[in-house]
Amino acid sequence: MTTASGLRPRPAIVSQVFLVLLTLLFLSPVVWAVLSSFKPAIEIIRDPLGFDPTAFTLDNFIGMFGHVPLASGFMNTAIVLVLKGGMILFLAPLAGYAFAKYEFPLKNLLFGTVLVTLTLPIIVLIIPLLLEMKEFGWINTYQALVLPDSFGLAFSIFWMRQVIASVPDELLDAARVDGSGEFGIFWRIVLPVIRPGLAGLAVLTVMNIYNDFIWPVVVTTTDSMQTLQVVLSTLAQNITGQAIGADYATVTGELLAAASIALVPLLIIFIALQRHFINGILAGSVKG
Amino acid sequence: MHQHRPRQVPTAARVSAVGLAVAVSLGLTACGPSIGGGEESSTDVLVAPTETSGEITIWSRSGDLYEVFEGVIDKFNEKYPDITVDHQAVDIGAKLQNTLITATDVPDGVFLDDQLVPGYADYLWDLSDVLAPYTVDIAQQKLDVNTVDGAIYGVPWDLNPGLLFYNATALEAAGIDAESIETYDDLLTAAEEYKAFRPDAGPIHLEQSAFLGQLQLEMYASQLGTSIADENGELRLDSPEYEQILGFLDSVQKGGLGTRAEYLGPTDIAALESGQQVFYPWSIWFDFAPQQLLTETQGDWRATSLPAWEAGGARSGAMGGASFILPKDGENADLAWLFYEFLAFDEEGYTAVYGPNDIYPDGLNTSIPSYGPAAQADKPLFGTVDALGGQDLWKTAVEAGEQIPGSVPTPSWWGGAVDYLGNNVQKMLDGTMTPDEVIDSSTTDIQTNLVDRQ
Amino acid sequence: MTASPQLAPRAAWRPSGRGPRRLPTRRALAPYVFIAPFIAIFALFSVYPLVFALRLSFTDWRGAGSASWVGWDNYTYLLTSPAFWASLGNSGILWLLILPAQLVIGVVAAVLLNNAKLRLRGFYRTAFIVPFVTPLVAIAQVWVVVFDQNFGPVNGLLNLVGIPDVGWLVTSEWSKVTLALLFLWKTTGFAIIIVLSGLQAIDDTVYEAASLDGASRARQLWSITVPLLRRTLLFLVVLQTLAVFQMFAEPVVVTNGGPYGSTTTAGVYLYNHISRADLGTGAANSFLLVIAVMVLSLVFVRVLRPKD
Repeated sequence: MTTASGLRPRPAIVSQVFLVLLTLLFLSPVVWAVLSSFKPAIEIIRDPLGFDPTAFTLDNFIGMFGHVPLASGFMNTAIVLVLKGGMILFLAPLAGYAFAKYEFPLKNLLFGTVLVTLTLPIIVLIIPLLLEMKEFGWINTYQALVLPDSFGLAFSIFWMRQVIASVPDELLDAARVDGSGEFGIFWRIVLPVIRPGLAGLAVLTVMNIYNDFIWPVVVTTTDSMQTLQVVLSTLAQNITGQAIGADYATVTGELLAAASIALVPLLIIFIALQRHFINGILAGSVKG
Repeated sequence: MHQHRPRQVPTAARVSAVGLAVAVSLGLTACGPSIGGGEESSTDVLVAPTETSGEITIWSRSGDLYEVFEGVIDKFNEKYPDITVDHQAVDIGAKLQNTLITATDVPDGVFLDDQLVPGYADYLWDLSDVLAPYTVDIAQQKLDVNTVDGAIYGVPWDLNPGLLFYNATALEAAGIDAESIETYDDLLTAAEEYKAFRPDAGPIHLEQSAFLGQLQLEMYASQLGTSIADENGELRLDSPEYEQILGFLDSVQKGGLGTRAEYLGPTDIAALESGQQVFYPWSIWFDFAPQQLLTETQGDWRATSLPAWEAGGARSGAMGGASFILPKDGENADLAWLFYEFLAFDEEGYTAVYGPNDIYPDGLNTSIPSYGPAAQADKPLFGTVDALGGQDLWKTAVEAGEQIPGSVPTPSWWGGAVDYLGNNVQKMLDGTMTPDEVIDSSTTDIQTNLVDRQ
Repeated sequence: MTASPQLAPRAAWRPSGRGPRRLPTRRALAPYVFIAPFIAIFALFSVYPLVFALRLSFTDWRGAGSASWVGWDNYTYLLTSPAFWASLGNSGILWLLILPAQLVIGVVAAVLLNNAKLRLRGFYRTAFIVPFVTPLVAIAQVWVVVFDQNFGPVNGLLNLVGIPDVGWLVTSEWSKVTLALLFLWKTTGFAIIIVLSGLQAIDDTVYEAASLDGASRARQLWSITVPLLRRTLLFLVVLQTLAVFQMFAEPVVVTNGGPYGSTTTAGVYLYNHISRADLGTGAANSFLLVIAVMVLSLVFVRVLRPKD
């Protein structure tokens, strides 16, 4: 039943309900965390589900700003985001393009290495990687935070290959006929065409880098180099795992406050990238 | 798009490409641990510094303790103005091992739970020399847990005596005098009386977390002068002491005399506030609960020495506790020693730590010093505790602490034993295992999976 | 004359007239140049550590001093250890709890979001991705509180409809479900994004034709969308399978592998070795895990491979 104005009918009520339900489920724990950060720390532990508007307090935030190197955490995360994100967003489509649109000797073998990288559990690599970082003198450096992520790069290449595979060859042929160089084809033809896919990759890459804590925790030992997640997990040490005798009420409060603040930039970035998720890409592409 | 085969690369070329990569990597792996017969790692004895200037990096666990130690630095600098202290709040559990393995940016001093110290012994300075003037005054248990093969690897800091916390108000209403409890049999009797008075009660706390349950088990064992393993790392679970302890816990469970909950989880707190749970045999740091969490029963709680296992036996055991370690790869470990010496053995230092300060206006009362001169019953460092009805907790804790028998260093596999012993104790408290089964099964599993593989 | 790769019959590489010698070389080299950075990173940061770990897996090393050679000992210990197989089993059960649910929810949500007529699309998309970026440590608290068997709201709601308390976090039977719910909560947004990207590559004209043929929306979903999404779904399945098997942060933070080891996944079991400084066994464990996961991935690729 198509309507005159388009291909898809208006979403049914059932769909709306489903989406709303899903949203509620996804958001309520986060809402709890954010709201709780405004409760007195003791109340968070004693009465987790109670919310008393009169007891609203900023103590957790104030305490957190005093104790927690949030600013440097943000800065380091930002730096890593730009460096690593830039690296992945450039190298992954490039390699994905090579795998998708070229034939060359060793192609399967090389793609095999991409696949193998995906299956390696991160944990096994940590100690050897750490020793390697030490050899290079890279402990507590930005390069250690940015470069050794073959998994992230492999995943991105895999995905980009798939996205680029559906770019019509005619576009590329046309560009070649026009005399464009290999890199030029990539830069001027492929990249614009895969913009939504690239936006999707950008979103995921940003998320993953932002979220990453296993490796940064291990490779940064000084306050000044800690990324945001490392800062948060340091705060959390007294709550998770096997804390003995620690004042975990205050820490919980500060942790929730820090986590609430940590969410904000990411939401902003995501909302900003929203408009690249457009429907019906390949505008002006050749059909047939 | 057609799939087609690229020109086949000769197998030889492929194999050699792979082989080259592997060879290069193997060459790289020359950096890393050498493989071969294990060398004996030497113990290095720390010598007190002659110059007292330089910078030290100190790691403390984040939270209130970090704040407390931070507050002491100024006092320390009054005595040693030329030592700069870079005090960092660090997730020690996550960071320490890797830092020591890579030997990069190693701090000069680290706050570490006692049970972890022996596991890191290979990386640490032997402090026997610098501690010599103080050892005679340090609580025996603390010295013992830090000593491996005659070398002392940690600066003993706080003593965590086990105490019996009880809800005086609730027990009075039931006509029970908790102070008259002297043995665990007495405790069982009191619990039965309370339950008769209040049938929905589970008077005694039974821990539901496998890890904390094992820690509490060791507290009971510490009263009896034993622990999971002896000084040679040999298991001694199969012993009358553990039979008695597990038998006691089993009786509590079977008699319906226990509240089974995770330490200070929602269920635990609810049972404490409602008067269903009135006896909490736990380390001194449980006092955090009446002071901060138990708003309804605040002021009802008191602390006294643990019951003894036999009449006249020790009325306390250690549960938890931390010390300060000095990694060999730290640059200025000897200066860090001065800092910890100040914290633990200097009157100005330990008064600043335990006494009233910005973080704790009435003083830090979740532990007591392990250093005798600092822990004198009639010279309290922290004030009386309102939440315990104004009790002189200091006196109670110090007197209990003096009863703690000597001990042995904790085996490095202690944490891993939770998978076996900790879990089995939980199963016993579920009613699916008998105490003998717990002992047998844990002994076998720990022996096979942990001890034999050391 | 340099050998040149086979040309595709569709002649993607039509000469442009600049001269026979220069072009084939540039075209021939291009893919290698494009892939080179990844290979460099792979060699440095995957191969080296991997080979190192392989060496390590035949030794007993505790982080200090030298490592002593133990041959196959670590492997035999693991392969005969009930705990090792139990951890694989736990991961397997978690996989069953997570993947099908995630696929269904992911596809349905992505399809719904793909509709340009849907109001608040941007809002929904943002909402779905929020869990993915919320720090785990903060959310773990929520889970512990919400699923508390005596005071948690989940049981509260169940009680309202007459269902007795469920031991979400304290019984072996339910702990995996609770963990699966956490993982689903956290990563379904990620799945939705991936499926959404795959959907956007599908041309609308395909739906047009189907609608003209009278196919209902549901039918379209099943017969058109899903097959076209096959590649994307395969990608998602493989990726999430890896994630489920390697998962260790969530079980450690929420249940610490318990109760009774019921949430000790393959990842947690591996993590325990490493955090207890039993690095040789940890390395051996990793390789066994890699093999297990590779086998699984191959199975999926076989079964779900697009038939083109």
